Amino acid sequence: MTLKRVLYIVSILATVVGLYGIFLRLTTGHQNAAYGSYVVWGLWVAMYLFFVGITAGAVVLASLDYVLHLPLFRGTGRLSLVLALITLGAGLFHIWLDLGHLERIWKVYLQGNPFSVMAQIVFGYTLLGLLILVALYLTLRKPEGMILKWLLILAIPLALFLSGGVGALLGVQAARLFWHVGLFPAQFPVFSLASGIAVLLMVLGFFWDRRDPRLPQMLLVLGISSVVLQVVKLYFLWADYSQSLYGGIPHNVQAVQEVLFGPYWWAFWFGQILIGSLIPIVVLSQPRLARHPLWAGWMGAAILLGLAIARANIVFPALTVPELAALAAAFSDPRLEYRYFPSLMEWAVSVGITGAAGLIFLLAESWLPLVQVE
Amino acid sequence: MADPQDVLLRMQEDLKRARQKPVKERRWIMVIDLRKCVGCSACTIACVAENKLPPGVVYRPVLDEEFGNYPNVTRRFIPRPCMQCDRPPCTPVCPVYATYKNAEGVVVVDYEQCIGCRYCITACPYAARTFDFGGFYARGTAEKAGLILGQSKAAVYEQAANFEYSVQWARRGEESPVGNVRKCHFCLHRVQGGMLPECVTTCIGRATYFGDAWDPDALVSHLVGLPNVLRLKEELGTEPRVYYLL
Repeated sequence: MTLKRVLYIVSILATVVGLYGIFLRLTTGHQNAAYGSYVVWGLWVAMYLFFVGITAGAVVLASLDYVLHLPLFRGTGRLSLVLALITLGAGLFHIWLDLGHLERIWKVYLQGNPFSVMAQIVFGYTLLGLLILVALYLTLRKPEGMILKWLLILAIPLALFLSGGVGALLGVQAARLFWHVGLFPAQFPVFSLASGIAVLLMVLGFFWDRRDPRLPQMLLVLGISSVVLQVVKLYFLWADYSQSLYGGIPHNVQAVQEVLFGPYWWAFWFGQILIGSLIPIVVLSQPRLARHPLWAGWMGAAILLGLAIARANIVFPALTVPELAALAAAFSDPRLEYRYFPSLMEWAVSVGITGAAGLIFLLAESWLPLVQVE
Repeated sequence: MADPQDVLLRMQEDLKRARQKPVKERRWIMVIDLRKCVGCSACTIACVAENKLPPGVVYRPVLDEEFGNYPNVTRRFIPRPCMQCDRPPCTPVCPVYATYKNAEGVVVVDYEQCIGCRYCITACPYAARTFDFGGFYARGTAEKAGLILGQSKAAVYEQAANFEYSVQWARRGEESPVGNVRKCHFCLHRVQGGMLPECVTTCIGRATYFGDAWDPDALVSHLVGLPNVLRLKEELGTEPRVYYLL
């Protein structure tokens, strides 16, 4: 059985699971969700951050083909744009389902508060989505045209601004010291670039035409870029956590300790650091392995897994520290606890959206001229 | 000589006076005397009853803290309503202007406008906001068995409308206030009717005070002038309107 067939089966099964989760969400609202009023954002918000991070990175990577016209990456632009569109859809669908009133989303557009970072991001992602759609249309009609080039020149700063904006969405909250880090808006575009490169590494490794003589070199360049970005990411993490621990402000220390030694320490150490960073750094640092499509593909997948856990480790810990000591015991209710593990419905929805995103990509890859080998 | 007048009667007179002033000339504040609070949580429960709060929604929990080493041990109780900050971090983040300070300076939520994104909850340094997940206390209980009242009858109470913001809000299905962020509003609906907030009238120790800080004759004006006044997390610059007497 080929890898593609396995991916088809997994994607279809995941989508079916997702349909059950979405059915639950639409019929029972938030009652089957595990988040509460203290840990108020859960898996869906983390997955939203993860997917829109990929979007921003993929838009930037499309410029290698359509703006910089690099011969090595010629033909990868449309693939990057399709990945950007699919992941944007997956991210926005996650965050839409997270709303208390799905039917009121129009209010953000027609009655929105332009001074709210959240509203700014909604406006921005809508604009970015439209730009990607138009760019994709142009790649089919006039791939060599100047309009496409200028559209992407416009889209790149927008994507990076939005990526930074997502960092600011959390960073502006002075009440949460773990989030209130000035570097957040600078870190997030780096995470996005790492996400975009990782997803392209995975897709090129698994799906690109093996007969293309450029493939090993493409994978090597993306692999080395991934190694550099993983090192930068680890440095950011070290800088952030070591300063927090050294500073000693209890709220901040508690949040960092939650990540390092809390109930989900294994997700951080094994998922985020070992599988998501160290193994890819070791493997992709070796040119022989980095050039190998399957090794490169799996390392891309591993980095993505690490990034997804990293997003969760940004969202949850800040919310698991009581704003006021003794608040945790002040009123007893499952919704008023400082612990969180996603519910079955939340997992089902996220697995389903991820599966559907994969399925849409597989169908697009089969039916559209995404892989353009000259 | 101690004032023979009960503080509740005094505050009701203060309230009557304040309501004769234009809305913008009132400054509602709350003062909580921690030396008098016995941690009975009557205010918490009264608030739940007044606003018919569902499971997981609480406007005024009482924090219970224990200090010291035996035998020098003591407890402190801190009721925590919404601080009605003058510089609230929760309002500017709202993407649809659903939460704002009203003309009387109380931070309110427009249930019909709120999209339920919960950004304001994450922004509040006091955890004073909760989300209405649509739960009911009676849900899952027996329908009718022997002498038990039965779910359908027991649920009548919690499905009845509350009067928050002087509007009748009955919780049905996914309709507001289900799916909305909810918070303490100083019982504006009662204040507009000439009554003190429910937590104030219920306090068995007369530990909670409410009134117009811009009325020099009001009891609360006198209290916030005392040297033992403190506000929570003042360093964040939120300018809370809830004061604590230590």
